[in-house]
Amino acid sequence: MSEVASARAAGQSPVIRVADLHKRHGELEVLRGITLEVQRGDVAVIIGPSGGGKSTFLRCLNGLERFDEGRVTIHGTTLLPQMERSLEARALREVRAHVGMVFQQFHLFPHMTVLENIVEAPIHVAHVPPEEARTRARTLLERVGLAAKAERRPGVLSGGEQQRVAIARALAMNPEVILFDEPTSSLDPRMTGEVLSVMSDLAQEGLTMLVVTHAMAFARKAAKHVHVFHEGRVVESGPPEQVLEDPRERVTREFLRLAWG
Amino acid sequence: MERALGIDIVCAPPNARDGGRAIRSILRILVCLTLACAAARADTLAQIVQRGSFVWGADQEGGGLYAFLDAVDPSQPRGCDVDLAQALARELTREFGRPIEARFAQGQWDKLPELLETGRIDLVLNGFEWMPERAQRMRSTIPYYVFELQLLVRADAGASGWDWLRTRPAKRVGVLGGSAAERYLAEHEPGLELVSYDGSTNAMGDVASGRLDATLQDLPIAIYYRRNFPSLEPAGELVGAGRYVIYVRRTDAALCDALDRAIRSLRADGTLEAIYTRYDCWNAAQLTSPLLELPRADVQDSRSGAGESSFLARHASTLLQAAGMTVLLSLASFPLAIALGILVALGRRYGPRWVSWPLGVYVEVLRGTPLMLQLFVLFYVLPNAGLRLDALLAAVLGLAINYSAYEAEIYRAGLQAVPPGQMEAALALGMSQRLALRRIVLPQAVRIVIPATTNDFIALFKDTSVCSVITVVELTKSYNIAAMNNPADVLPLAVLAGLLYLAMSYPLSLLSSRLEARLRR
Repeated sequence: MSEVASARAAGQSPVIRVADLHKRHGELEVLRGITLEVQRGDVAVIIGPSGGGKSTFLRCLNGLERFDEGRVTIHGTTLLPQMERSLEARALREVRAHVGMVFQQFHLFPHMTVLENIVEAPIHVAHVPPEEARTRARTLLERVGLAAKAERRPGVLSGGEQQRVAIARALAMNPEVILFDEPTSSLDPRMTGEVLSVMSDLAQEGLTMLVVTHAMAFARKAAKHVHVFHEGRVVESGPPEQVLEDPRERVTREFLRLAWG
Repeated sequence: MERALGIDIVCAPPNARDGGRAIRSILRILVCLTLACAAARADTLAQIVQRGSFVWGADQEGGGLYAFLDAVDPSQPRGCDVDLAQALARELTREFGRPIEARFAQGQWDKLPELLETGRIDLVLNGFEWMPERAQRMRSTIPYYVFELQLLVRADAGASGWDWLRTRPAKRVGVLGGSAAERYLAEHEPGLELVSYDGSTNAMGDVASGRLDATLQDLPIAIYYRRNFPSLEPAGELVGAGRYVIYVRRTDAALCDALDRAIRSLRADGTLEAIYTRYDCWNAAQLTSPLLELPRADVQDSRSGAGESSFLARHASTLLQAAGMTVLLSLASFPLAIALGILVALGRRYGPRWVSWPLGVYVEVLRGTPLMLQLFVLFYVLPNAGLRLDALLAAVLGLAINYSAYEAEIYRAGLQAVPPGQMEAALALGMSQRLALRRIVLPQAVRIVIPATTNDFIALFKDTSVCSVITVVELTKSYNIAAMNNPADVLPLAVLAGLLYLAMSYPLSLLSSRLEARLRR
């Protein structure tokens, strides 16, 4: 847990700084000028109706999608819309070295065991000695409650277990921040609980997280800031008690009414 | 009819009547058909006279002066055999007082006896030499032409003849597969390395290009084709006299006698001389050679006692050796095909436009043209551009390049079948695209395409037989050669060759399904 503690110790500086981000799919403007910061050690939650650009925004942050205007600065490295190829490659390498990502569909590597999934990037990207990588991977598996499944293939695990492995896989690279893209949306309530409890633990330990989710209870409990996305814009931002309980915008109120059921 | 065929309607139990009737009808039809065929076989001459034509089989490919495509009118074959067939038709017309015409049928040269036996042609007339084995299997007319064998070498080789050839380091001599030249050399010149070709001109071309030291050809062929190969010249004395005859089916004694009469008459009235003078191959031997008459007794007795050693002993080792070549070709070319295919697939899926587009053309061209043509280009055309490949190398390369197109398509589909999330997850972990492909995407694609590639491996394994067109002697070619020279053993040889193919491909199937099971864990 020391790496998380050290991240918190670095104090108040934004890990993620996004200015006026625009993204178009042909005619459709998916993101229309997003400006947003995430401070070190903070948990930021993005909510909002489907199609509001939440996932696209997240994928722009680690270069899985290109954007058309604006800038993204992560841990001192800046991504711009039109970069020269080699510069872009270097910037993406820098950014991805500091940003982990957890996907809705887990995307574990099916041809590897759970342990191999976790040590793959440390060994082949960060060039950690294999033995050291495996020891750390076992520690991480213990932390997400799956030490017994190290030698299994992902295919035989439940969805909740797979998502916890995916979190361990992201943690293995010691990221400054982890992006969660609807991590519990394809899980049933019991498995959702398992995953959210792991995420809450990480939040308490001070890991910087940016989470796109519909799990309002988690947002209420773990988030420092909540951002509401609607039609490619941030319509409302603030601490969870304000945004979730006393929303200013009509869009937020409507969304929350539907989300709470 | 029923009684004649020994089928008793009354005896059929009532409940089986309908089924019984159907079976009886089928039986009746089969019996009638068989009888009709037997009748047809019994007297081909009568049939020929009645339908007013006979069908003669020959091969226009590398067809020498015998039968070849007319440059002006490709719809009609030309050649001395064509002229002879027409002259024979005129003779038969005169003898039987009814119009009889000669109809040409194209057939692969070494398969003409099979075409004859299966009734697709009435006679084989294509520079076929009289041989005891053939004369046992088919009925031979008297010779219509006697010939000798001429050695051809490159003019600049400074060659003086047979002694020169025997001192060459490689001593490679090209011959037409199953020809008199092949038999002569095998019998009389055991020190030489024989390379068997499907066409005479290919062998001559390979002498010109330096791949062979010499080629031994029937004299008429040597004379006729020399104008196409100005760099070749005849060397050494003529050897191994032989006779061209017409073959008919074993049972067609009447047709054979009629043809004998016609040949004698054509020789007597100067028609043969006129025909062969047109092709520069007439000589005095055609009237005086002792070979011109063929004692019938000779035909029957010539092979008694020969080849009594056991069938397996005679052929097993030759076929096994050829099977080894088949395995070598497969094992050498397929890994190469896969490696090439993967590169092409990656280039097409992930490469920039200037890479993916030409690769698309590569795949379409190689998939859209026959393997045989590609092998021909590699082996016979490339030497003109100064690149002379050894036959085995050309075969391995040809198979590998041809199959790489199929593997590329299979792998492209395999790469597409790996969910895009796998690549994204790998990139998000900081992998470069190249590392992600190597460690994450490709291993999954390999698992997906294993059944398809196994299938292709077995297909390639069988396609190695095509390599015989560029003189590689693999299992099918070896079978062909053996069958040619041992007509009586065709069936057991075919079974043996088939069993050898199965014995090799079945373990491959087993191996691949085990591999599949292991990777699917």
